[in-house]
Amino acid sequence: MMSPSVIFIAILLLMSAAYYAGRKRALAVAGSRAGLARMHSRPTYYGLLTAMWCGIPALLVFSSWSVFESGIITHLVVAGLPDAIRDLPADRLNLVVNDIRNLVSGNIVSADIDQTMRSAADHYLELQAISHASLAVVILAMTMAAIAILMRIIAPGLRARNQVESIIKWILIACSTIAIFTTIGILLSVLFEAIRFFEKISITEFLFGLKWSPQMAIRADQVGSSGAFGAVPVFAGTLMISAIAMVVAVPVGLLSAIYLSEYADRRFRAVAKPLMEILAGIPTVVYGFFAALTVAPLIRETGIGLGLDVSSESALAAGLVMGIMIIPFVSSLSDDVINAVPQAMRDGAYGLGATKSETVKQVVLPAALPGIVGGVLLAVSRAIGETMIVVMAAGLAANLTANPLKTVTTVTVQIVTLLVGDQEFDSPKTLAAFALGLILFIATLILNVIALHVVRKYREQYE
Amino acid sequence: MDAAANFEELTVGIENTQTASTGPAKAKSGRILFDRDSRDTVGEPFVEDARMTCRDVNVYYGDKQAIKDVSLDIGRNEVIAMIGPSGCGKSTFLRCLNRMNDTIDTCRVTGQITLDGIDVYGKDIDVVPLRAQVGMVFQKPNPFPKSIYDNVAYGPRIHGLAQNRAELDDIVETSLRKAGLWEEVKDRMDQPGTGLSGGQQQRLCIARTIAVSPEVILMDEPCSALDPIATAIIEDLIDELKQQYSIAIVTHSMQQASRVSQRTAYFHLGDLIEVGDTAQIFTTPRHQLTQDYITGRFG
Repeated sequence: MMSPSVIFIAILLLMSAAYYAGRKRALAVAGSRAGLARMHSRPTYYGLLTAMWCGIPALLVFSSWSVFESGIITHLVVAGLPDAIRDLPADRLNLVVNDIRNLVSGNIVSADIDQTMRSAADHYLELQAISHASLAVVILAMTMAAIAILMRIIAPGLRARNQVESIIKWILIACSTIAIFTTIGILLSVLFEAIRFFEKISITEFLFGLKWSPQMAIRADQVGSSGAFGAVPVFAGTLMISAIAMVVAVPVGLLSAIYLSEYADRRFRAVAKPLMEILAGIPTVVYGFFAALTVAPLIRETGIGLGLDVSSESALAAGLVMGIMIIPFVSSLSDDVINAVPQAMRDGAYGLGATKSETVKQVVLPAALPGIVGGVLLAVSRAIGETMIVVMAAGLAANLTANPLKTVTTVTVQIVTLLVGDQEFDSPKTLAAFALGLILFIATLILNVIALHVVRKYREQYE
Repeated sequence: MDAAANFEELTVGIENTQTASTGPAKAKSGRILFDRDSRDTVGEPFVEDARMTCRDVNVYYGDKQAIKDVSLDIGRNEVIAMIGPSGCGKSTFLRCLNRMNDTIDTCRVTGQITLDGIDVYGKDIDVVPLRAQVGMVFQKPNPFPKSIYDNVAYGPRIHGLAQNRAELDDIVETSLRKAGLWEEVKDRMDQPGTGLSGGQQQRLCIARTIAVSPEVILMDEPCSALDPIATAIIEDLIDELKQQYSIAIVTHSMQQASRVSQRTAYFHLGDLIEVGDTAQIFTTPRHQLTQDYITGRFG
């Protein structure tokens, strides 16, 4: 039986065979060294062209076949089921189809296996085998036809090099559009779920409500049956923690960047810069327990010593540690833009008798400022999106407070807690996660666009 | 095939004809072309009542010696041109004069350089006032990304030369007038200096240097990034500026050196080979290397 993986490997083998065939054909057409010179392209390009025409259509057919195969087979199997089952409501029917699929792949099935199920599964298997066989035939025919056609048209006048170049260009375009379409896809999926949420909870209540308590009653008489979906406390928490993080990260990161790029000698820089970048490589979960187990108790004890009321999980702990995490972002980006300021600027200032700190403060930093702002905005969007540290160190209670010693929660933490575990996917509680995600996405998108714009503007300045 | 030998022959040939045609006055007193291997300075490196003096200056970048035992004076109200092939140390020497080499970690300077009799490398000398007295104009125009006004006002501000806004305005205007830029920019003082043309930018940099009222202005190939018209304007400006300042200019253009300078110093691989009146250097060089360079034999 031709399983899809065998077919895939066969395509790859056929492609390499096609390459050698095309190359050999080109050499044969050329005949001699003089003939080779008359060929439009080098033999390798004829080989590549043959391999591409052989492989790319086959791979496209293969992938679209794989995508649509199970849907079509399922449809056919359902059509063959007895009317009694076919007339079931959609969700029940889905369960039956799932059972059939599980039966086919040998997994545990939920319902009892009766004769209809058994025969449906057999039917499924049969269709699958037919599908695979026909796929193999189609692909083999396509590749062979491609090779045969190419063998025929390889001639000194065939502009193989240009064709290969343009095919490569299209492959690159396809890859870059994948990234764009994925972004659009994510945005749309979040958007549709968010719209479903806003059908149940009004958008004004979500954006301006001051109470966040995403509970939904399973029964009407349940305690706490009414949920509150005012996102203000959640966003306030995000803002506060991000602000604390930036208060830590921007001065430390920027000043260390200035030291490293303007003052430090080369040897120190060679050691210190990679060390700082290690900070960026530490997994955020490690920062998380550092915050929860080391920093938070420290803050709490210090606070108690000063007679303050400090929660064991506080915005301050999460913000401080997040700031430390972001330092390398700020310092590395600032370092790059500071180094990009032409040496001529510094020479000009030094030549007028400016001291080092005057030069940095009055010439280098103003020249680098747009780039630094861009870097800081990127760091802010990183801080807003950060989850793990906050989950572990800031707590879950959505307090609307300006006191950084209290427990707060953030958008990302709420998304995690709303979606973790078994959930109904149409209750406002879970849908709220999508609404939060959408707003977060829009916020970071705007920040990133501004940051990129600022950075680009800076780049144009010296050219 | 035997290029070296041919070259030698050709050189001797030219040498002979030159001695015969241009050298009668000196030939009678036995005019000597110092040969290529000689590294002693030929000519008159010292002047009376010098603004700056340099004695036995050596400069090292790490282990590499960039300047070897250079002694040279810069007189008052004169333009001294420094010429020589790339890498000969003329820019390095220029940057010693206001200690711009201090910003390079590996750079080490020995010997003595004085400004008005005071050792600029002395222990109690601060580079900040020194660089106000010995200003510098660079190869590529490097206005700060600030307004035209702020570019010129930068130096006076950091040195506290103006007591109030009116005085500062005055310094800015005077400096721009001296640099011949005032008429062109007086209506757009608040626009960025980087928006000017290359020649205007370079004159802005000169105005910026003048604004701190230096005694000596060092110019490191100030016209190499400019077109001929802008170059001519700058050269005229240099000619005017020498009424007030001593100017040392590094240039790759021998025409420029002969147009703007009174004295010329020829550097070769870190040695000061020959120095003397510009006219004399370009008409009757006394060192073989100088002659090779100005006749376009190399460089």
